[in-house]
Amino acid sequence: MTADQRPDPDKLLALVSKDRGDGAPDTPRRGRLKIFFGANAGVGKTYAMLSEARRLFAEGRDVVIGVVEHHGRPETLALIDGLPLLPLREVSHRDIRLTEFDIDLALERRPHLILIDEYAHTNAPGSRHPKRWQDVEELLAAGIDVYTTLNVQHLESLNDVVARLTGVWVRETVPDAAFDAADEIALIDLSPDELLKRLAEGKVYVAEGAQTRAADNFFKKANLGRLREIALRRTAERIDAQNDALSAAMGQAESATGDKILVLVGPDALSARLIRHTKRMADRARAAWFALYLHTDRHEALPDKARRRVEHNLRLAEKLGARVVRLNAGRAASAVLTYARQNGFTRLVLGHSPQPWWRALMGGRSLSQKLISQGAGLEITTLSADSAEDKAEADGRTVAQALRPLPYLMAVAATALVTALGLPFRDVVDPDSFIMLYMTAVVAVAARYGIGPAVFTSVLSVLTFNWFYVEPYYSLTFDRVGYAVTFVVMLITSLIVGSLTARLSLHARLARKGEVETRLLYDISRQLGGARDAADIGQVIERHLQTVFEVELGLWYEGQQVAGKAEHDPKELAAVQWVAQNRQMAGRDTDTLPTAQGLYLPVSAEQSVIGVMCLTPTETTRQFSGAELLVFETVATLIAGALQRTRQTALAEATRVESENEKLRNVLLASLSHDLKTPLTVMNGAVGSLLKMRKKLPREAVDELTALWSHLARLQKFVGNLLRMAAITSGQLHLSFEPYLIQEVAGAALNRIEAMRGDRQIRTLISGTLPMVRIDGALIEQVLINLLENAIAHTAEDGQITLSFETDADRVRVRVSDNGPGLRPGEEDRIFDKFYTYGQQISDRQTESSGLGLAICKAIVEAHGGLIYAKTNPLKDGVGGGASFIFTLPVVTSGA
Amino acid sequence: MTRILIIEDEADIRRYLRATLTAQDYEVLEAATAKEGMQKLTLNRPDLVLLDLGLPDQDGQDLIRSLREWSQTPVIVLSAREQETDKVEALENGADDYLTKPFAPGELLARIKVALRHAAQAGTEAPKVFERDGLCVDQAARRVTLQGEDLRLTPIEYKLLTTLTDHAGKVLTHLQLLKAVWGRHTTEQSHYLRIHVQHLREKLNDDPLSPRFIFTEPGIGYRFRP
Repeated sequence: MTADQRPDPDKLLALVSKDRGDGAPDTPRRGRLKIFFGANAGVGKTYAMLSEARRLFAEGRDVVIGVVEHHGRPETLALIDGLPLLPLREVSHRDIRLTEFDIDLALERRPHLILIDEYAHTNAPGSRHPKRWQDVEELLAAGIDVYTTLNVQHLESLNDVVARLTGVWVRETVPDAAFDAADEIALIDLSPDELLKRLAEGKVYVAEGAQTRAADNFFKKANLGRLREIALRRTAERIDAQNDALSAAMGQAESATGDKILVLVGPDALSARLIRHTKRMADRARAAWFALYLHTDRHEALPDKARRRVEHNLRLAEKLGARVVRLNAGRAASAVLTYARQNGFTRLVLGHSPQPWWRALMGGRSLSQKLISQGAGLEITTLSADSAEDKAEADGRTVAQALRPLPYLMAVAATALVTALGLPFRDVVDPDSFIMLYMTAVVAVAARYGIGPAVFTSVLSVLTFNWFYVEPYYSLTFDRVGYAVTFVVMLITSLIVGSLTARLSLHARLARKGEVETRLLYDISRQLGGARDAADIGQVIERHLQTVFEVELGLWYEGQQVAGKAEHDPKELAAVQWVAQNRQMAGRDTDTLPTAQGLYLPVSAEQSVIGVMCLTPTETTRQFSGAELLVFETVATLIAGALQRTRQTALAEATRVESENEKLRNVLLASLSHDLKTPLTVMNGAVGSLLKMRKKLPREAVDELTALWSHLARLQKFVGNLLRMAAITSGQLHLSFEPYLIQEVAGAALNRIEAMRGDRQIRTLISGTLPMVRIDGALIEQVLINLLENAIAHTAEDGQITLSFETDADRVRVRVSDNGPGLRPGEEDRIFDKFYTYGQQISDRQTESSGLGLAICKAIVEAHGGLIYAKTNPLKDGVGGGASFIFTLPVVTSGA
Repeated sequence: MTRILIIEDEADIRRYLRATLTAQDYEVLEAATAKEGMQKLTLNRPDLVLLDLGLPDQDGQDLIRSLREWSQTPVIVLSAREQETDKVEALENGADDYLTKPFAPGELLARIKVALRHAAQAGTEAPKVFERDGLCVDQAARRVTLQGEDLRLTPIEYKLLTTLTDHAGKVLTHLQLLKAVWGRHTTEQSHYLRIHVQHLREKLNDDPLSPRFIFTEPGIGYRFRP
């Protein structure tokens, strides 16, 4: 095994976690999908699904029936009985009452496993998703396991094959991706004989609407055999695909043959067949495949219906798993070949439509012919349009344009005009000169209305010229033989000039349109630079989109609507919510909530949705084109950027204000400290100097001075605590963490309280080797000083204080315990509150606690990520008692 | 007679300092602003400066920096704030010691004595043998003994110990110690400093909970017993 064939652990892991049904730890577990797959109705898929569900239910799994079509069959009904049923939703559509699966109820109920019959079912209009498989997708995403059933003819890529075989077109299809995404496929197989027997016994449900002829056709033995074969093969292909995924992860080549297939998609129905054909080809060859649409001049000239057809075809390809490519190109054949060769395609699939006789006569070759002659090295497959339907759609363009009478009326009018202009001068000027006049009309029509009317004008011009200007007048005959040549030359010239002009003006229009879009995006991004908040952004976007695309804009940001008219329709609001949750487009022209008025796009930044953009066309019947969608998506990106920027600006402003405030607080605190400490320092000095002269002073004065001295000391301590507390509560406490040995800090604290200890004994106890702690040394020293002072204040003159240290894996625990009177019950928690003084029962010996010292300890310890608490010591043989104050500090982790 | 300059804007504190210092036979000069202080520093050449950091016309830290450009006169900082960062900054700017207000007269006098002694030693050839409480550091012989017994120190421990004893009584900040031991451009962390101090303490038989030699100044640095 060479180096690059070594298994990729990430890919393997991804496979394993897909198997287990759980993804990365931060994403919720995705539900598992099991499809009961059959070749035909009546093979017993629902029966098998229910049987398995019953077994699981008996095992205690939380199983719920979402929807099951029992068609009144007693065997099925018996299986349903006893399983919990989710109520169906009633929908009335055009006075018909329908029942539908209720996805909201299912999401709310959140069972472990839900049964959803008929994967390919089409939901009633007005449902959240048009298709049931999309409901299933949402359930899976929510982490719910799903069992469902599917017949082979409902599979998108096999849809046409089955239709050709049986003559029945099924409109309800499931994209192959939704089938291949299943975690498990159970093929429910029944031999055709057995099935026919069941059919004869009336055990197979045949849809009421289905024509008997079709049903008869369907249930022919030969057909059943073929369908069975198709289902078996499709299941086998899926197993292959799974093996491929495994071998790809194991480092083997993804495609067995190294093939890469490109299918050319156009605006015709043949393209849909091409796409399905290519999908099957790609599956068999295990090759990657791409669908290419050539965005040539012709595209803009296409009628709306054909353009929709293009979008439809491209969506179909995407659904079947193709990558979609749109290529702007002038010359179709060379563009396709260049693209195919540059991107390593080996096969090309395209449709072949027969050339009109006149083009063949003029030596024109169809795209397929050109590609075949130039595409050396490529395997080219062409499919012919065989059915009448294919052809009708392929010719759709000419039909559609013929239906627009205005350009032709204008062509007639232009011809009439130049004729009328020239007529008075007919006898004065040489008739040949008028040819130029007609040419002007052709150019004008070509520029305005395109190639068709231009051709029409050319022919009409020749005829009118002959009628009015060539003797004999008012007849289509002519005297001079030379005019035959003149007419032909005139016709050819005007055709060439007309077609060139038409193409030029089309190019100009396209360029203008492209420029308008570029300009639009440029303007938007420039003006967004000046937007200060979300509402500003909304206004900028609204102004631009309204004029160019004739749409109303709605914008939601941070749960609020910031632009557009206030929306109250629950369906529209549901779309907003859905988009925000699912990070996907929804609304009109999409698969989710397609009956909504607006198109909803997520505005996402850094992989999360920060807003939702809604576009409602002013003309309600309008459909958005793929190109427009691209522009909208770009606009959404611009909005996301702008919103991010405004958010950061707001944040920066808040930070600036905060730092100004902090500076102010700092100055305030400094001056407060200065003002309080200056007189204290002076008094301290004065009393100290006086006490030095104690021998010269009367006894009473010395006593007073001593009292003053001790009160001064208390006042100093109190002021110190007060200032420290002020610093903490105003957020001025900036911790500078450094590794310390706690003994060092404790040593410094003991040194500081040495003077006030009196006759009290302070014992120190260390158990084990203490690791370093990550602390602000000065602040923890203060904690220790406060706790020791507190202990000194609450013990008798000959009291005992113990300072002990111990450690476990990630903490160092410090304990200051005394043998004073201890805490009163219930005091343990309140003791760390500000201005709470404990031990009131010994108030005769005025405590020195200001009620701030312990609160400061708590604030400091908690800022270190530690805990502080107090408790009364247990009595041991009648001795002991007193209080313990314990705090913990996090240990320095390695490398710190 | 030793001359001490007090730079402090509060007249009452100046008065208290003057009383305390004159009682100990120091000659006292006073300045209420940084500008006046600077003038007296250049004109009167005091032996020591007591400097309040919160002056009205100039930040005391700036004054220390500009003074250190031309003079080694010892400076003791008087600070009203509990902020350790102020003290560390002052020390690293070149101050010799600090006192937090309010302070007792005895403490002030002790610090002044230490600072003056250091200044006196800096002028002369420093005595190469340091003795304190059974510890003897003979830098000429590169020999350290405790109660007469030889101590085996690593080069770093030795450098650390001599740096501390050379400035005995004076606070050295973490950074100052790191630079002195590992060189000017050290990138070592205070973490390593603490580990070496710990080892040194073990060899000196010095309990950090009740130290005899090396005193911890939490948040600032270390001070060797004066």
